[in-house]
Amino acid sequence: MTKPTTPASRVSGAAFIFKKAAISALVALVLFSLMIGIRTEAGPTGQLIYWTRFDDLASVVAIVFGGSIVVELLRRWWGPLGTPRLVPRQLQSSLALARKLLAPALLIFALLVPVIFYNQRYILDLGILVLTYVMLGWGLNVVVGLAGLLDLGYVAFYAVGAYSYALLATHFGLSFWVCLPLAGILAAFWGMLLGFPVLRLRGDYLAIVTLAFGEIIRLVIVNWESLTGGPNGVSGIPRPTLFGIPLTPADDGLAARLGIEFSPTHRIVFLFYLILALALLTNWVTIRLRRLPIGRAWEALREDEVACRALGINITTTKLTAFATGAMFGGFAGAFFATRQGFISPESFTFQESALVLAIVVLGGMGSQLGVALAALIMIGGFELFRDLEQYRMLVFGIAMVLLMIWRPRGLIGHRAPTVYLRQSQAISSDLVKEGHG
Amino acid sequence: MSGSLLEIRGLHAAYGKIQALKGVDIEISPGEIVALIGANGAGKSTLMMTIFGKPRARAGQILFDGRDITELATHEIARLRIAQSPEGRRIFPRMSVAENLQMGADATDTSEADRASALERVFTLFPRLKERMSQRGGTLSGGEQQMLAIGRALMSRPRLLMLDEPSLGLAPLIARQIFDAIRTLNRQDGLTVLIVEQNANHALKLAHRGYVMVNGLITLSGTGADLLQRPEVRSAYLEGGRRA
Repeated sequence: MTKPTTPASRVSGAAFIFKKAAISALVALVLFSLMIGIRTEAGPTGQLIYWTRFDDLASVVAIVFGGSIVVELLRRWWGPLGTPRLVPRQLQSSLALARKLLAPALLIFALLVPVIFYNQRYILDLGILVLTYVMLGWGLNVVVGLAGLLDLGYVAFYAVGAYSYALLATHFGLSFWVCLPLAGILAAFWGMLLGFPVLRLRGDYLAIVTLAFGEIIRLVIVNWESLTGGPNGVSGIPRPTLFGIPLTPADDGLAARLGIEFSPTHRIVFLFYLILALALLTNWVTIRLRRLPIGRAWEALREDEVACRALGINITTTKLTAFATGAMFGGFAGAFFATRQGFISPESFTFQESALVLAIVVLGGMGSQLGVALAALIMIGGFELFRDLEQYRMLVFGIAMVLLMIWRPRGLIGHRAPTVYLRQSQAISSDLVKEGHG
Repeated sequence: MSGSLLEIRGLHAAYGKIQALKGVDIEISPGEIVALIGANGAGKSTLMMTIFGKPRARAGQILFDGRDITELATHEIARLRIAQSPEGRRIFPRMSVAENLQMGADATDTSEADRASALERVFTLFPRLKERMSQRGGTLSGGEQQMLAIGRALMSRPRLLMLDEPSLGLAPLIARQIFDAIRTLNRQDGLTVLIVEQNANHALKLAHRGYVMVNGLITLSGTGADLLQRPEVRSAYLEGGRRA
């Protein structure tokens, strides 16, 4: 419930911010006057020489002062309810509208990406990469976000999917469209297999076991050379076809059949729409499941396992279906990855991938579909954007994550939309229903 | 003996080496409110949970409507339409009131029509819940959360409702509302209720019959009014309880 911000309260708010910034600057001055203001070094004959750097000191203090004001403004903008808002109401309501339109706008933009950036191979490749992580994020979201089962080995299912397609296609010549469901089923099967031993585990213990599971799968792939090719990986994985029509310059290729000039971009665009469709399928299935008793049971399980048992919810099947569903989507994404790359090796399935996908889910807001998509876009896209910064990009990333967790402890989109609606309209205003953050 | 809805014979249960139930006999007839009172750690909650299959009974028998349910899994027991409102309410804080209620019916293959009529019943009993339908469970007051926990248990249209400490941590006025609702359910719907309480005074006034539990054993039983007059009950759970 925001109180209407009167000019007077805004002035006092500004004074408070100014005072706070001044105090921060003073602390910085005291701290840095010796650390930065005076520089000492051993001279050529061993004596201590020093010189002053007051200009550097001044700029650091100025940065602290300015930064403190910015931080405080941001905090009031997004901070918990009850803190006086310095942002005018009009801007707030337009922000709320923008939030509502965000998901459809993103979807339309995604659909138009190949049209807009048709000649920019780099952007298309980046788009495919982002969408792959969106799909992985949505898949892991079922396990971590909805069911609350902390899974640090999600990459295992990605690997199972990728190797399922790669091996089935290279050994038996099965097409992508036959292998895709098989990869999903095999990954789901491995998900169940992981689920059984960890049925009684929660939290940290579960995380450790799933982490180990991810490593086991990778090590098996590395060492089972006769089947998987070991560290050399599998190469020559067939490219996907448009339901049997290859996207090649050959006579029976898509370009020849349509009577248009062949371009390698056709395949990239096809891959883009393929992963977009797969990701949207993941999203659609998850949204549907959330409204069914099984999805509700997942969320209830995350909230309170004891209460679930008291209600007679079958904990075993609930957990196993969550693992299996999440793993299945991971498997789909893996099959896609294999067909896109044409070559896979165990190096693509390290723990870092699991951590990245988990970070996307957590930063996006556990359980929020839109949040996960945004987080994938920001993390993968942002990572590419800062490529020029070389070693600093990890630093930027760490800082961004820490700041995000301070301001949005439940992730980018921490709000959880209910799935059961009442037919009658409600008597209470939404103002009374809101709850503080974190 | 035929005719009883729930019959427990010589029930033993333990957590590891700690014996929690040491041969409990209890009987509940259809349409009865039975109160189980006793001090902390007497084994009251354990008895309720053992009826629900967790922890498992070490020895003895639990018969529901003449059927042996001692070895059944928790979700199978729930499907026989035994419902419980667990200790500490344990509603789902981030889920809406509506979703919390639906969860109560999810485990028991309840049809849409049954869900709707059960929901209607819960709302006439606790109109406050209807007002708060789309609110998150965690934002409710303690009393409302208890109403929600009972309402959730009622969603499966139970034949036996087990309540663990429904008045725990509630203001006296709210506690009375809860007890009134239980009485209404029993009189109007003929619902059989097993209520575990430390608030012996309230519980025994509400119940038709009561059992007193001490250290995993039933030491006294009788009608509610009868137990309220017993000097050992008065000294242990009423005068002393009031001071505490």
